[in-house]
Amino acid sequence: MSENEKKSGDASAGKPGRALDRRDFLQGLATVPVLGLFGASLLQKIGYDKKKRAAKTAPAAVPGPDLNVALLGAGAQGEVLLNAMLKIPGLRFRAVCDIWTDYNLKKTVNLLKKYKFDVHGYEDYRDMLDGEKDLDAVVIATPDFWHARHTIDCLQAGLNVYCEKEMSNSLEDARRMVITARETGKLLQIGHQRRSNPRYIHCYEKILREAGMIGRIVTINGQWNRSAQPDLGWPQRYAIPDAKLKKYGYSSMNRFRNWRWFKGLGGGPIVDLGSHQIDIYSWFLDARPVAVTASGGTDYYDPATHEWYDTVMAIYEYQTRQGRVRAYYQTQTTNSSQGYFENFMGDQGTLVISESGSRGSVYREVSAPQWDEWVRRGFVLAPKLVEQKSEEETAAVLDVRETLSPDEHKLPVEFNDPYHKPHLENFFNAVRGREKLNCPAEVGYETAVSVLKVNEAIEAGRRLEFNAGEFAV
Amino acid sequence: MDEKKLQQWQMIALVGLRVIIGWHFLYEGVAKLLLGNWSAAGFLLQSKWIFAPVFKWMANNAAVLDAVNVLNMWGLTAIGLGLILGCFTRLAALAGIAIIMLYYVCNPPFVGLFYSIPMEGHYMIVNKNLVEVAGLVVIMLFPTGRFAGLDRILHKLFGKK
Repeated sequence: MSENEKKSGDASAGKPGRALDRRDFLQGLATVPVLGLFGASLLQKIGYDKKKRAAKTAPAAVPGPDLNVALLGAGAQGEVLLNAMLKIPGLRFRAVCDIWTDYNLKKTVNLLKKYKFDVHGYEDYRDMLDGEKDLDAVVIATPDFWHARHTIDCLQAGLNVYCEKEMSNSLEDARRMVITARETGKLLQIGHQRRSNPRYIHCYEKILREAGMIGRIVTINGQWNRSAQPDLGWPQRYAIPDAKLKKYGYSSMNRFRNWRWFKGLGGGPIVDLGSHQIDIYSWFLDARPVAVTASGGTDYYDPATHEWYDTVMAIYEYQTRQGRVRAYYQTQTTNSSQGYFENFMGDQGTLVISESGSRGSVYREVSAPQWDEWVRRGFVLAPKLVEQKSEEETAAVLDVRETLSPDEHKLPVEFNDPYHKPHLENFFNAVRGREKLNCPAEVGYETAVSVLKVNEAIEAGRRLEFNAGEFAV
Repeated sequence: MDEKKLQQWQMIALVGLRVIIGWHFLYEGVAKLLLGNWSAAGFLLQSKWIFAPVFKWMANNAAVLDAVNVLNMWGLTAIGLGLILGCFTRLAALAGIAIIMLYYVCNPPFVGLFYSIPMEGHYMIVNKNLVEVAGLVVIMLFPTGRFAGLDRILHKLFGKK
């Protein structure tokens, strides 16, 4: 060891008052490169955080030319759609149509007048079509059995149509809707609004298609469970006269208010609720079902006023390119346990998603490859802290046969708008020629075919198969 | 191993300890600065034990809280840089001990005290803050900056003969 080295090894090296030598410089600056490593790591982290934020926030909408819009059907669902539309810039409400003139119609016209819209109210949609010649689009939220007539007449009057799901309670009518849309060249969007929900789009495009994070999906389950509810009533002084009810297809005020429960008017909970989620099954699988088995009945309510089934359990079979998929769905209207969600189970992970923001996670199977890349790219958030998890699981791991529960990765996308807003925006932007419809008539038709078959299968009491040709118009 | 050699390795090990603790400080400081809206309020408000009134007073007084926030963010960053670079090492270690002890007595991990803002792990009395303080005490007592650090250069240029 040289004299110099000996000195440098000594803690008191670098005695004051002498010229700096090379060793002083080297050792004095020895830890500076650590800052480089720190900076590089920090940049990587900032990049990851940026991706996470970008996934969270949708780009700001660019306002387009104003559109003249009418609302056809101003009941509960019409109100939901209207509240979402009032948050969309560039819409001029010109007309509202509802046969419950003293109640729904009055309420909605007054609301829109408060927003300074020059809006006219109509009882009969044909009067509206005659009276309003400069409409660009109509939003239809009437009972299912009216959808086809309303849609077809509006399309033929040259309007673009947003029609609530279920497209129709009759497949023949739904088919005519598709054909009319094609013939008139007008747009027909069906109200399966999850198709435009940024959280669902993220799951479909990033997690399932681009990353294939959950591997081969083999099973699905989903549900919409609701608490028991009394039938809808009405203030006696606002009751619609019988003759008018009859003119519009209702034999009583009760049927008018509770049409969803009656055959010939609606399709029951499987159609009202299940339709949204069964639509997601087909969308996420990129497939149509090949068969369905179902059990259901009016087990709780009075069958005289609840013709459709209050409890339904169905099992779909899908044939995808990767193989067979079995998909369970249940809806019950007597207990709200676990609410509503769709749960996709693949051999590498699980995707649980719900329109309600409370659910939206991907779980990695313990045997699957790590997901660090997808976390870095902002597809999912980093897993929930293992430390938090372990406490909940201490009991489970005591038994060696139990597998550890998989890591939970939350979805990075936040969505705080009214649920229907992006789907309506998609429709209006398509009318302006800027976007393609997320749920055109053909897609709505496929879902109607899939869903209405459940009621058939319950009646038949056996497994029903779909023909490939059944889904096409 | 001869004594000199051992001494050299001991110093290298202490420099490693210093850099690692410094990294932690620097990151805590920079991360808070990058957040833009970081505030100590939540941490101070959940304070328990005998000093709780003091910390809660800090959180409830806007001017004091602002000062606490700025001192925290820049203080942690400066201490981190000092420890990594070995620049004013003793002062940095002492400041680090002071700031962490404040955290410790603000939310002490004593059995029977429960907090809603999560702290890592489960402890009785000794937590990672206290371990870090012990590390800083060691660093303060050894002149690692004059072995490997800017202090070596500063000391040589400006130190008293």
